[in-house]
Order: sequence, then C-alpha cells, then structure tokens
Amino acid sequence: MNNMEYRDLLEKLLRESKDKMDDAETFLIKSKETEINIYEGEISKYSIAESGGLSLRGLSQGKMGYSYTEKIDETSIDMLISDVLENGKYIDDDPEIIFEGSDSYEDMDNYSQELKKIEVEDKVNFLMNLEKTALDLDERVFAVDGCSYEEFEQERYILNTKGVDLQDKFNGAVVYISVVVKDGEDTKTGLSYKIFNDFSVLDYKEMAKEAVDNAVAMLGAKSIKSDNYPIIFENKTFANLISAFSPIFSADNVQKGLSLLKGKIGEEIASPNLTLVDDPFLKGGFGSRNFDDEGTKTTFKKLIDNGRLESYLYNWKTGKKDDVNSTGNASRSYKGSISISPTNLYIVKGDMSRRELVNFVDHGLYIDNLEGLHSGLNPVSGDFSLSASGFEIKYGEITRPVNQITIAGNLFELFKNIEAIGNDLEFGIPYSGFIGSPSIFVKSLSVSGE
Amino acid sequence: MLDKKVIEDVLYAALSRGGDFAEIFVEDRKNGNIKMVGGLVETNISGRDYGVGIRILDKFNSIYAYTNDSSRENLIKVAKEAAAALNNNQMDIRLNLMKRDTSNNNPVKRHLSSVDKKHKIDLLRQGYEAAKAYDSVISQVAVNYLEDEQKVLIANSDGLLVNDSRIRTRYAIQSVASKDGEMQVGYYAPGASMGFEFYDTIDVKEVGREASRIAVTSVHADHCPSGVMPVIIDNEFGGVLFHEACGHALEAEFVSKGTSAFANKLGKLVASPLVTAIDDGTLKNGWGTTNVDDEGTPTQRNILIENGVLKSYLIDKLNGRRMNMKSTGSSRRQSYKFAPTSRMNNTFIDSGDSTLEDMIGNTEYGLYAKKLGGGSVNPATGDFNFAVMEGYIIQNGKILKPVRGATLIGNGVKVLELIDMVGNNLQLGQGMCGASSGSIPANVGQPSIRVKSLTVGGRKGDE
Repeated sequence: MNNMEYRDLLEKLLRESKDKMDDAETFLIKSKETEINIYEGEISKYSIAESGGLSLRGLSQGKMGYSYTEKIDETSIDMLISDVLENGKYIDDDPEIIFEGSDSYEDMDNYSQELKKIEVEDKVNFLMNLEKTALDLDERVFAVDGCSYEEFEQERYILNTKGVDLQDKFNGAVVYISVVVKDGEDTKTGLSYKIFNDFSVLDYKEMAKEAVDNAVAMLGAKSIKSDNYPIIFENKTFANLISAFSPIFSADNVQKGLSLLKGKIGEEIASPNLTLVDDPFLKGGFGSRNFDDEGTKTTFKKLIDNGRLESYLYNWKTGKKDDVNSTGNASRSYKGSISISPTNLYIVKGDMSRRELVNFVDHGLYIDNLEGLHSGLNPVSGDFSLSASGFEIKYGEITRPVNQITIAGNLFELFKNIEAIGNDLEFGIPYSGFIGSPSIFVKSLSVSGE
Repeated sequence: MLDKKVIEDVLYAALSRGGDFAEIFVEDRKNGNIKMVGGLVETNISGRDYGVGIRILDKFNSIYAYTNDSSRENLIKVAKEAAAALNNNQMDIRLNLMKRDTSNNNPVKRHLSSVDKKHKIDLLRQGYEAAKAYDSVISQVAVNYLEDEQKVLIANSDGLLVNDSRIRTRYAIQSVASKDGEMQVGYYAPGASMGFEFYDTIDVKEVGREASRIAVTSVHADHCPSGVMPVIIDNEFGGVLFHEACGHALEAEFVSKGTSAFANKLGKLVASPLVTAIDDGTLKNGWGTTNVDDEGTPTQRNILIENGVLKSYLIDKLNGRRMNMKSTGSSRRQSYKFAPTSRMNNTFIDSGDSTLEDMIGNTEYGLYAKKLGGGSVNPATGDFNFAVMEGYIIQNGKILKPVRGATLIGNGVKVLELIDMVGNNLQLGQGMCGASSGSIPANVGQPSIRVKSLTVGGRKGDE
C-alpha cells in the first residue's frame, strides 16, 4: 500500500468508528529494517523487513477501548471496532481523552535522504573492514562475535475525530562490533557501537580499536576489597543507569505511588550541579519529535534544575489529574495503551574533562560497565545493586582493571552525592527515549568484592 | 493458513538465486491483556499479530525477510528480494511438501478467547484484594492478566509442512510495600501453556498474598551485607541461576563459534557430580513447551549435564551445520519478526537427596536466597549477575533475619563446580527470556541448592 492508500484506510476506519463511538483515534506505524551481519569475512546474516501495526482506540460512554492488528487492510475494520467497544466496557479507571491537536508544531526533519542512498555494498565493505581490522589489531583477539549494521526507518500516522491529522518519519542506523580476547584461560569481551544518520562520520579503524582496547584492557582484571569508594562513571554507563531509572519521572508512576519523587516538586533532590533536561528538539537526537503519540506538541523542559525537581513528564490523562497540560511526553506502541516516556533526556554537561575528574580521585574506581540494569535495580525504591567492572584509580591515575564487583546504593542518595560533572556528554542506544550523560563523579558508593 | 501451492511458489522463489534451504514461517496470534491497578481496570487491550518470515540458508549463512502482507504476489516479491542477496544459480530442487502431524504436549480444555472478560476481571479483583489485605504496609497492587493464542505454519524445502498451536496464559501480581518513605516490591507471576483451566490449578488469592509477603518482608529487612559466602538458592524461580549462568552458554549460537565457555567440552566433567540438568521442550502444559520448535522440529527432552558430565548442547539447524550436529528441537523465536536460533524451553536442575533444612542447618554463615529476581550473563566470559528479591542471613545453621538489595555475581563455569548440596524439592518457575531471537516464555527450575561460595553484593556499613 502507498501513502494515499494508508490514509484512505485510516479515514474509512475513523468514519465507521464515529458511527459507533463518541470519538476515535487511529495510530499507524510502518517500519522498514535492514540488518547485515558479518562473520569471518562472509555475510552471515542478511535481513530485510517491512512491517507495521494499526491501532484503534475509541471513547464510548466515557470509556476508552483499544485494539490493534498487524493485518493492515479493510478486512480488519470490523474486528478493530468491535474489540474497541467490547474492551472499553470494562475500564473503570479515570477517563482518557482524545486530543484536539495543538495550535502549532515546531518544524523538524528527522529523516536523512542521504542515509537511504548508501549502497549495500558500502555497508558490507565497512563491516568487512571493521571485522578484519579488529582481528588484526592484537594477537589476543580470539573472535569477533558480533559485527553488524542495522538500519531502521519508521513512519507514524495519528488521525482522530477531533481533527488531529499528523504524520512524520525518521530513520537511523547502528553499527556494532563485539570482540572476544583471550590470554590463556582469561577471556574478556569488548564492544563499540555508533548510532547515526550520517554514514560518512563512521571510522572503522577507530571502532575496531575501541572494541579491542576495551577488551584487552580488562585482561587480568581482579576484584577489589569491599569498601566505600569514590566512583567516576563513564558517560554512556551513567546514561544507561539514568535510562533504567527514567520511569521515576513519569507522572503516571508518581500518581500511582510508584515513584519516590511524589510530592517533591520544588525540593532539592540532587546536588546543585545536576541539571536534567528533556529536549525534544535536540539536533541529531534519536528521541527528537515535534508531536507526541497523542498528537500534542512537544516541549523543552528541565526536570531537575540545579538540583531542584521542577517537573514530571505528563500525557493528557495524568495532566488532567494534576490539573496541568500534557508536557508532550505521551508514548505508545500500536500494541499498547498511551503511556509516558522521555524524548531526549540528558544531564547538562559541566566543564571538566574526564581526565580532570580522574585526577580528583585519590583512591577509587572508574566504572565503564554495569550489568543487570533490568534486574538489580528497582525504580520504585531507587535501590540498586549492580554487577560492575572498570578500573582502579590511584593517586589520580587509572591503573589496573577491576571486575567481579558490585556497586550498591540508592539513586536519590547518589544524586545528592554527585561531586562533579564532566564535559563529555554522550548518548546510549535509544530504547524508551534517547538518554545521555557526561562522565559523573560520585563521592562515595558501596562496593563489594573480595 | 496459507495455500500449499503458494508456499511452494514462495520457497521456489526464495531459492531462485542459490541457497540450499528455504523456510517459511507464518504466524497468526491473538493477544489479550487486562491490567488492574489499585483495584481499577486500567487497560484492556486485544489485538492480532500477523506476518510471514522467509529464511534462506546458504551453508553457514542466512538471509531473513519478513512482512505483514501475505498475498501471494507480495510474498514472492519478498522472497525474490531476499534471494537477491545471493548471486548464484538455482540448485536443482524439487519440492514435495508433506503435511506432518505433531504430538499434543499442551492439551487445552477451555480456549482463552471463549471465556467472558467478566470472569477474567473477577480473577484480577480476587488477586488484588488478597494482595491488598495482606498487610497494612501494602500501598499499591498491580495485577496483569495475559493470554495469547499463537498459530504457526512452518514449511521448508526439505518437504516439511507442519502446523502448531500454542496457547498460553499468565497471571502476574506486583505488590508495593511502603514504610518510612521507602518502598519495596514483591512480584509473583505463574503461567502455563494451558487454556482457562489453568485457573483451576492455581489460587489467584495465594498469588496475591505471595507477592505481598515478599514486599512486606523486604520493607522490614536490613541492607544485605557484602562478601563471599555460601549461598542457598531456593527451588522454583531460583533455577534462573542455571538458566543464565550455564543455559545460555550451552546454546549453539555461542558454542558453534567457539565463544562459549562450554565449547569443546562434551563428555567432560563441567559441574559438580551432584548436578544433572535437563531442558525439556515436551513437558506437559509447560510454560516453555511447544509441540514443534520454530523450525518445525519436534521438541524433545535433552539431558544437558548428567552427574556433572556435559552431554548435550541446545542446537538449531543453522548453528548445527557449523557444529556438524543435528537440531535438538531447540530453535525458537519471539515472532515472525525474528530469525530463529537455539534457545531454552523448560530448563532445570534435577532433584537430589538433600533437604532445605539440612542445607540451612549445615551453614554456619551465609545467605539464603529464597526468591531470585532476574539476571543476565555474558556468554563469552560466563560472568553472571542476579538480583535477590527475597533473602535471609543464616547464622549458626539458623535463619537470622531478612535482608534486601542483594546481588549475586560469579562465573558460570565456576559456579557449577561449587554446588555442594542439591535438594529433593524440584519445582519450576516461569520467566520471559530475552536474547537475539526475541523474548520467549521459558520455564526455569531447580530444587534448593547450595553454592559453597559466591560473591554477594550488598551495602557494607549499613548493618
């Protein structure tokens, strides 16, 4: 189906819905993906995909029902409508609304025509070079167990009976390499990844080196004596930690008593050097968008301003409860109901280089890997206890590698313990929002090891 | 689900530019989800996943394509696009698709979609009320009802044509306990490959009370001390330790490339002789049970480790080629959007002779991990980590006090050797396992076991 045919389908679905419900909204996602994997100089896996999903939600007697299908054609219309009516009957939570649209939306273009033009051959050659370079860099490189290029493209349509008629698209790509190094029985892994929409910025030599260096540097790693240590978190590693805790900023969790930020607006919740923003307009940000999944214009906001909690993230349902407007953070998949997520969420950078931060530490740890972010961490309580690895810092210098340790603490205590913030803002792989952080120096955290 | 002639045409198109094997995977799945938060039905969604995956193998390499549009015209177009990645001539292949019957490992009495939503919501309410009433410190309860009915058709150029139907339901409760500005969570979520009769086999009120009991225990608990100590891991979901620490490293995806710690170790002693571990994809109505795997191979009971000796890996077709070994019926995928690979079904450590009381009684100082949360592993290094959801300190052979916030870390190869007691109380617990072919339902399991020494990450100085 082409663009016009999709629109015709959505309009027909809305017309037929309108006969049976008070208001209705259609949400359509179309995605395309290509993935190339290289192993030992051959294309070991090549994937192409085109898929999507169509969702209908509708209000009837003040209750919102949802349904969806991946069989996107006219034969699905009756099922979508009858399921919405049936599912809505049982809802007894506060009513959701269908939004009438914002007055205006920022101009934005998140689609790179250039990226689309890159030939498959160029991508394959890049990966071949990346793998070969990594294998040749150091004789301890035992295998390249992941070497891939993934390109994605997504189109989004929101049409409703209140007049919202929005459509956008974005694309991007990720290159990834993971290496295994061995020195006798000692095995370590290292990786490098880049998310981009400008292929020309990629440098396979730099990526191969980063992955191999990361792995080789960990050879001979040992645990460290259990104690409290000052800790410097590598930028992307801290971004991953913030990402796992990002549900605490959702007004939905706050209202349900699932966030300790409840009732803390205006209060000091972090060190005065910490400012955390949600910026949907960040240039090159993979969470950038000018309207959210309810069709509301997005807005720039500070969640934490110099240590003070300024705002939660809202959609319309939670906004109504607190008598505020949506902040433009409604988020959903076609399979789910409206929820909340950040756009580009990041800690505003400070002015010290990583090197300067390390120089501050007499005896501590530089942590560049955290594992178990989806199990060893509790966004409700803020408690975390995570498997970690990195390096020992002695007299302001990075020394030996450290692994088989855990670091433990509570996010809210950690926020207050931030001593200094680096100037090296970096972003992780977007999952629920695009999350970034500079390197972060934390006064003290509990480390268990030997 | 798809006409035999269309399937044949698609397979021919897939092999039009070379390749030695082609496969088509058609999926039609109905999902339902009802969520109750704070006693109110907040979400009620149903929907249909529908699509087709086409795979071409060429020796050790693969091409994968998927689409939602199952018209003959589009499928042939997609198959040809996929084939275009190869540059060879068509091999002489003559298709003769033979419909194969399967056993029925998951008998179903009441189809989930045939049951009125009122009944399902009534179940949510019963669980909610029991969880909420458990203790006055319970501040929030969320209950989730999930159902899914997945129909698949798998056909390939070896002549296979098979249908399978997988019906699953799960009931999950999360309770939150709050005290003095702190919050702790308890979670319990049984499930099975069964129809609505599953709810005759469990007591949803008991599920609610169990989730609340864990939350209440944690909110009254001190921070866990850190250190290296003996750890007793209780049965049921404690089996996630074996799943993460060893199971993943036995998957052919890692073994075939030599990056698994267990590569080239078949027939060798890799664990304490007390350990026998099994992956059984045929377990009746098991959460991870199917009749055939997602390549159409019948599932089977695979003994992975017998009395400490490595007996088998978990193998799919593609990785099996690299290893020169046959599929063990272990190829799985979340949906048509994923190429299948070697995965676990229902994986567990088998029963031994000890009792939990013996284990605790024989431990001078250590941790009793009654409930584990999730965990993860790096299959190349074997380094793993787990969260302990409910834990207790043992002193002088007795349970001293509950502790919270503990994490267990270690190495898979080493931990298997350090198991020094295996209990007689095998039970299975349900989880969702995430890896390269997506998120799939899998049972983990074990009797209570004791690991002689393990690093426990807690918070020192808070004792």
